[in-house]
Amino acid sequence: MDAQTVDLSIEARDVAGRIHDLRDYLDLLAGHGQCITWPEAVMPEPDIRKIVVAASRDAMMGPAILFDKIRGYPGKRLVVGVHGSFSNIALLLGHQKGAGIKELFYEIIGRWRSDYPLIERVKPEDAAVNENRVESGINLYNLLPLYRINDMDGGFYIAKANIVSRDPRDPDDFDKQNVGIYRIQVQGPDRFTLLSVPSHDMARQIRMAEEDDVPLKIAVMIGNHPAMAMFAATPVNYDESEFAYASQMMGSPIQLTTSGNGMDVLAGSEMVIEAQLMNNQRCLEGPFGEFPGSYSGIRHVPLFEVTAVSHRTDPIFESIYIGKGWTEHDTLIGLNTCAPIYSQLKENFPEVVAVNALYQHGLTGIISVKNRFAGFAKSVAMRALGTPHGLMYLKNLIMVDDDVDPFDLNQVMWALSTRTRASDIIVIPNMPMVLIDPAAEIPGKGHRLIIDATSFMPPDPIGGDAKIVSPPSGDEIDDLAKYVQRLQREAENK
Amino acid sequence: MSCPRCRSSEEHLRTEYQGREGDEIIWTVYYCKRCSFTWRDSEPAESIEHGKREASFRADPDHPEKYKQNIPPAAE
Repeated sequence: MDAQTVDLSIEARDVAGRIHDLRDYLDLLAGHGQCITWPEAVMPEPDIRKIVVAASRDAMMGPAILFDKIRGYPGKRLVVGVHGSFSNIALLLGHQKGAGIKELFYEIIGRWRSDYPLIERVKPEDAAVNENRVESGINLYNLLPLYRINDMDGGFYIAKANIVSRDPRDPDDFDKQNVGIYRIQVQGPDRFTLLSVPSHDMARQIRMAEEDDVPLKIAVMIGNHPAMAMFAATPVNYDESEFAYASQMMGSPIQLTTSGNGMDVLAGSEMVIEAQLMNNQRCLEGPFGEFPGSYSGIRHVPLFEVTAVSHRTDPIFESIYIGKGWTEHDTLIGLNTCAPIYSQLKENFPEVVAVNALYQHGLTGIISVKNRFAGFAKSVAMRALGTPHGLMYLKNLIMVDDDVDPFDLNQVMWALSTRTRASDIIVIPNMPMVLIDPAAEIPGKGHRLIIDATSFMPPDPIGGDAKIVSPPSGDEIDDLAKYVQRLQREAENK
Repeated sequence: MSCPRCRSSEEHLRTEYQGREGDEIIWTVYYCKRCSFTWRDSEPAESIEHGKREASFRADPDHPEKYKQNIPPAAE
């Protein structure tokens, strides 16, 4: 393998060689019982919602659900929950079903690079996404089996699309081309609103286009290579390419082609909707059940006009359930939220061992760190608040020692129970906050919490005499645990 | 018929699409041009009947100033 790319295990290389698009990934998942085709006919509402919520209850093992018998949408296909469990992510990374989250965290960390993108260009006429093209009489309701995700959403959402846009002031810079997941509410047969948080890349591009009065063209990719969806939701820097990260994480080339309106798009996407910002036009949007588990309100949101649609034959509409966690939102972006915080912290503090920012996009984070002296972990926490993602999202931080697995909440609770003094809690008032956090003082502003649950260190005079019990551990104990489980199963089957 | 969310009358509503199986119409999707609500006539009553929707999920297009701008238009 090329020294410039990431060194992958044999299993991971096998997966990387097999997966070029969503369909390949669904085949891989189905082979492991992780993608189920729903056997019965369903109504768009409320059946789809009920089934995908039930399937996503198990964040470790839940399967994707493919619907191909949706009433009123004959022949149309929908898949929900593709990234809906850590087992699905594990299979993509060449690990076993049921792999531990910490194991997957270190796998992602090992693949976290964007310096040598593996991009393969495909001519538009050879790209699967261009098998069919619609340029007139466009009706999104006829092209996609649209449905209401949560019962009080303001409309039908395209909630897992990966949206490509170029910097309107620097349209030829590949790295400044942005790929992001933004919620899209269909506002008519060929109209939609797209909501981006003002600090996000897309919002910057919308503002630039309107200030300069130039067109902003975008490509909405639906049903994508599974690594793309993970990186579209990852907070990488403005001048870094999500395509580059996605390809290097997979360790195999991402196939790109050019959309009809000039964007780089995945050649194997199920559908690409080409659209253009209607400068200065706004439309009421929302509410939408968002990742904190609450509805965001109604707002005036930028409006786009669809100019053309390309799609594969019998395209699969890939969607997501979002609401009160766990949901696919958490498993899709969880590890990719942890990784950049970890690597940015590690630059200053090599003592950082692992970062768990899985909860609601990192509204709560747990960081394990090798404590150097009393109060050290608090300084690391302050640095975490200054990372690009921490700036807005890391609201509650729990600091634990390096002997605590931050992904094992029983261990975290042990640290809280035995190593935390009430005076080890810091509240930092009036800090920036995510707009849709319902715990904000006012939207966009609130308090931060740091709980130092690390052990006592000199010069702290108290608590230093606690001698920790070291229960036996390692391969022998792991094997014994499996043996106990086998004896249990045998006893049950007798 | 009126909008389940803002009660705008029929002239403000638009038929978006009819889901069919053969000649049979299974459902129809409507859009309110005033408050942007979209609904399908086969949905549970809690979503599409004005009287059964929680008051906080209704909309008031007569007072658009109640709703914040996501990104204010540059032209304003």
